[in-house]
Amino acid sequence: MEELLRVENLKTYFFDKKKTIKAVDGVDFAIKRGETVALVGESGCGKSMTSLSIMRLVPAPYGKIVEGEIHLEGKNLVRYTENEMCKIRGNDISMIFQEPMTSLNPVLTIGEQITEVITYHKRLPRKKAVQQAIELLKLVGIPRAESIISDYPHRLSGGMRQRVMIAMAMSCDPKLLIADEPTTALDVTIQAQILDLMKDLSKKVNTSILLITHDLGVVSELAERVIVMYAGQIVEQASVDDLFEEPLHPYTQGLVESVPDIDAEIGRLNPIKGNVPTPDQMPEGCRFAPRCTHAFDRCFKEEPQLLQKKYGTRTVRCFLYEDEEKGAEHARKDQYSHR
Amino acid sequence: MLSYIIRRIIMAIPLLIGISILSFGIIHLAPGDPTALMMDPNIKPEDMEAYKEKYGLNDPPHIQYLKWVGNMIQGDFGQSLIRQGTDVSFLITERLPNTLFLMLVSTFLALIISIPFGILSARKPYTLTDYSVTFTSFLGLATPNFWFGLVLIMFLSVQLGWFPTGGIATLNEPFSLWDRIHHLILPALVLATADMAALTRYTRTSMLEVLKQDYIRTARAKGFKERKVVYKHGLRNGLIPVITIFGLLLPSFFAGTVIVEKIFNWPGIGLLFIDAAFQRDYPVIMAITVIAAVLTVIGNLIADILYAVFDPRIEY
Repeated sequence: MEELLRVENLKTYFFDKKKTIKAVDGVDFAIKRGETVALVGESGCGKSMTSLSIMRLVPAPYGKIVEGEIHLEGKNLVRYTENEMCKIRGNDISMIFQEPMTSLNPVLTIGEQITEVITYHKRLPRKKAVQQAIELLKLVGIPRAESIISDYPHRLSGGMRQRVMIAMAMSCDPKLLIADEPTTALDVTIQAQILDLMKDLSKKVNTSILLITHDLGVVSELAERVIVMYAGQIVEQASVDDLFEEPLHPYTQGLVESVPDIDAEIGRLNPIKGNVPTPDQMPEGCRFAPRCTHAFDRCFKEEPQLLQKKYGTRTVRCFLYEDEEKGAEHARKDQYSHR
Repeated sequence: MLSYIIRRIIMAIPLLIGISILSFGIIHLAPGDPTALMMDPNIKPEDMEAYKEKYGLNDPPHIQYLKWVGNMIQGDFGQSLIRQGTDVSFLITERLPNTLFLMLVSTFLALIISIPFGILSARKPYTLTDYSVTFTSFLGLATPNFWFGLVLIMFLSVQLGWFPTGGIATLNEPFSLWDRIHHLILPALVLATADMAALTRYTRTSMLEVLKQDYIRTARAKGFKERKVVYKHGLRNGLIPVITIFGLLLPSFFAGTVIVEKIFNWPGIGLLFIDAAFQRDYPVIMAITVIAAVLTVIGNLIADILYAVFDPRIEY
């Protein structure tokens, strides 16, 4: 499969009067065309900021991409001007958000909010755009699309609104769809429907999906590959099957174990102890070390690099795997020398 | 919508009755009566009595009130006690258009200046631009308009001679639009100042809140330029609270005309009111109070209707 998006050494910082907050601190990953990749991690680990960085929508003036490159089909988006980015957003890369209740403009009709994207990017006449909007609404499974189009968002339920958001995001056949916790605010049955819908659509038009979530259930449902982030860095990358079968990084192990098992007889959950370090109190050495059950002396002094494991299909940032990978090079170096 | 408007108008009736009783009572509590001002001090007491009897000033207050309301419903506001023989309704129809014109222009002026500056301020919060707009607004809020009016007259009219010192048109000259506008600029500006400042602040606060909303982020993610994001997706939402404030400010515009018309000698209803108040010209005072009340009620009704126009979530 051809590579669509490549993020290299992305660093997005927030600048306060006194301190610098490193929300995203050196992130590398790639997404292939048509592939669904999940970006998981606890709240505040930088996953949302990573996605906003790709859209170049990091809230100014406090946040800024300070380093790194974001390549979409080989073009570096970080160098794009605001005007050039406007042609990418909503067109090549589109995004859906966590809160369908508040993500639609309350004073514009559903139809207006979809057609405005189509007329803006595809330069279609209004009538045709309306036609297309109706088709899109049908595609995402909205009944009575012809009448819904002149309704306002407050008349729709959360699930319906998220469908509208998806229709809007898919209206220009984007190459990449970034879904930032698309199902978190929905109830479980609706969640499943929305996930199925996204799966279908991405297959139909060969759109890649970057799925941002902290819900491992959603990950197993939708994603092919998983990227685990912790405190602004990637700690592990693997295919979904590998990750659930054999999580390598102690943090990933913790995540997988903390998911309640429906067959288990024990009544208690297995949480990871402690909290995510606040960005201004980042521990020295491995960022997960203070919460890690396997931590040893070195973890508190030295920062581990991403290691390539098992023929380059997975990477992990942990000293535990250094020994078994004899002569292993730093993952990043390795990854790029192949290209 | 139509039934809502009708309902609102019916609901306004008890309100207007209340206002008329209150203002009637307050005016009659003030010491003095018209006879003291208009009569020759050497008048014979029995002539004075005859006069009072003729104009109903000896009736108990509630009878006076009922007589007045009864006539008013028939469109008769009575005759001015001071300008003898002149119908109050004539005085008002002669002057109300001047006041409405002044109010309309300064309302328009306040809106077209304050909303863009409020938005500008909200788009660049906590920057020099924002602070300058904020500072100017507070200055505008804090400046009493009689003082501001006098300062403008002193510098722009008296010293520089750019504007006339007062009046609505140059005397003894044929009507010309430019002459009217020339006379209008200063009073309209002074009348607009305080409310302009308030509206700027409210627009800023409201837009600042709106620009943080999720749907603004959605609009940005669609690839729209900042201008389109702010004006198409932000402004309509941001103006909803401003409409409320605007409805509340309309009466203050009316109150403002009293002072501004006095300073600029603008032949409107405010000037008529202030003169009438000093002379205890009851019929004139009462008629204007009622008209002000009606205008306030209409203003609020307009604000409520505008709500529905701007916000589809509101249904009547």
